[in-house]
Amino acid sequence: MSDAAATMAQGRQRLELSALSAPAVIFTVAMIAFPVVYTIWLGFQSFSNTGKQSFAGLANYSKLISDNEFWHGLWVTIALYVLSLVLQLVFGIWLALILFHAKRLPGIVRSLFISPFMMPPVVAGMMWLVILDPSLGAANYILQSLGLPPSEWLASPTWVIPTVALIDSWQWTPYVALIVLGGLQSLPSSVYEAAQIDGASAFKTFQRITLPLLLPTIVTAAILRSVDLLRFFDIIYITTQGGPGNASNTLNIYGFRVGFEFFNIGYASALMLTLTAIVLGAVLAFNRLRGAVAW
Amino acid sequence: MMDAPTTDRWIRCLNLLQLVLAGIIIMTPTVWMVLSSFKPSFEVTAYPPTLIFSPTMENYLQLTRTTPFVSYAVNSLIVTIGSTALGLLFGVPAAFAVSWTRISWPAILTLAARMAPGTLFLLPWYVMFRQVGMIGSYTALILSHAVITLPIVIWVLLPSFDSIPRSVFEAAQVDGCSVTRILWRIALPLVASGVAVAAILAFVFSWNYFLFALVLSNGDTKTLIAAAFNFIGEGSTQWGALMAAATLIALPPLILAALVQRWLVSGLTLGAVKG
Repeated sequence: MSDAAATMAQGRQRLELSALSAPAVIFTVAMIAFPVVYTIWLGFQSFSNTGKQSFAGLANYSKLISDNEFWHGLWVTIALYVLSLVLQLVFGIWLALILFHAKRLPGIVRSLFISPFMMPPVVAGMMWLVILDPSLGAANYILQSLGLPPSEWLASPTWVIPTVALIDSWQWTPYVALIVLGGLQSLPSSVYEAAQIDGASAFKTFQRITLPLLLPTIVTAAILRSVDLLRFFDIIYITTQGGPGNASNTLNIYGFRVGFEFFNIGYASALMLTLTAIVLGAVLAFNRLRGAVAW
Repeated sequence: MMDAPTTDRWIRCLNLLQLVLAGIIIMTPTVWMVLSSFKPSFEVTAYPPTLIFSPTMENYLQLTRTTPFVSYAVNSLIVTIGSTALGLLFGVPAAFAVSWTRISWPAILTLAARMAPGTLFLLPWYVMFRQVGMIGSYTALILSHAVITLPIVIWVLLPSFDSIPRSVFEAAQVDGCSVTRILWRIALPLVASGVAVAAILAFVFSWNYFLFALVLSNGDTKTLIAAAFNFIGEGSTQWGALMAAATLIALPPLILAALVQRWLVSGLTLGAVKG
């Protein structure tokens, strides 16, 4: 009898716990899982100019393969991704080391260091648009007073990708630094003491001890940044909208414009599913790497 | 060869120098934005750029006069507060249940929104919301932004709930407390500061989010972020007003972030790093 009561209490408890997570699960399924399935279905549809919808099979995907704009977008996405990620990891590790050695950092200084990535990317785009203006911007004034030639920055098809990478790196390097700093602070101090006794130089200590121990944290930072960088949107949409010409037309910008400016929902769905597959691929690859460098 | 204390002092000096350099690089663009917002209109486009000028509120006044800035700000507040509240309403119980049962798939499921490009959801949302006439409604905007806030709330709160000793819950259970009652009466007061951090982070990222409002809002429900585009269009010759708008849009998240900067790291990485 008491056994049955205990089982009943346990069942009741399990029911209650399910009820607690049910709203979040139902919301996520309704807002994400179901729409993704719908997008997969939309990817097989074609929409005529009159809004008529018909089954198109793999037509959207075969269009993808022969679409020069898609391959260009893929190239822009990858170039921007690699450039930004390298910049942010290198300078992020540098900044983390500086912050690590500056003990007792006042809260106000920490607030200043996180301020770039706490503000909307849209605002970052607005401010850099003014700073990098080719004719009246402060950046070109600084270049010229240093005796360097001015740049067209965002208005130059050659320089727009490095410039956007620079803006994004200004915003997100401190974020990478904070993650790496967390990793540095959790390293066991005993290994350093051993290295010091062995008389290892500061550089050797960093190269042989700190960096290998930090690798899992760095890979984590790389995953978090990859997810955002491969979906690059806000700063480009505000500053260049994919221009000049199509020089900064990332896959996400291209897909958005195909969907909401040309209203080709079917083809846009195929584009976005392809981009999602690329993001997932990058995350899985980095996850394996994280497993390989774990200690 | 230098003796150890001297080398030590040199290294510390060099480190401080780098810290200052990094600080300058990080702060200068923001300072320039704020300065420009207070410049008289003839001076903001002056070349060479000026550092010394008599500050004016002209740009801010112009912003409120020539654009519906205040109603955009109200829209932003409605959407941000609404989606933060919704994220807390769904996220707090879910985080508690995940922490209790150690069954983590509901928490991982909500992360899907962090992985896929927003346009992937926006396409079907657009089709669906249009069919039920909800494009431009606050409801559509709040629901879409809750997709951003929910994973933040869950992943910020998970470690907080995990850190409560199991014995606290077991004692309450012996006293005949139901699970739901334990959450509201015992667990929630213990993680109050975690809830505050979660709410602030959710607010910041909902406020900053651009893409959804770009498509799902209309003239009446446009948020500040989605309206940024209008300011640029008008501001091509009016940098002062553009920078005033940028400053005002950045202000709420920056103030909130400064309040919770000490607890931010673990929240920002969604549990990937324990900071």
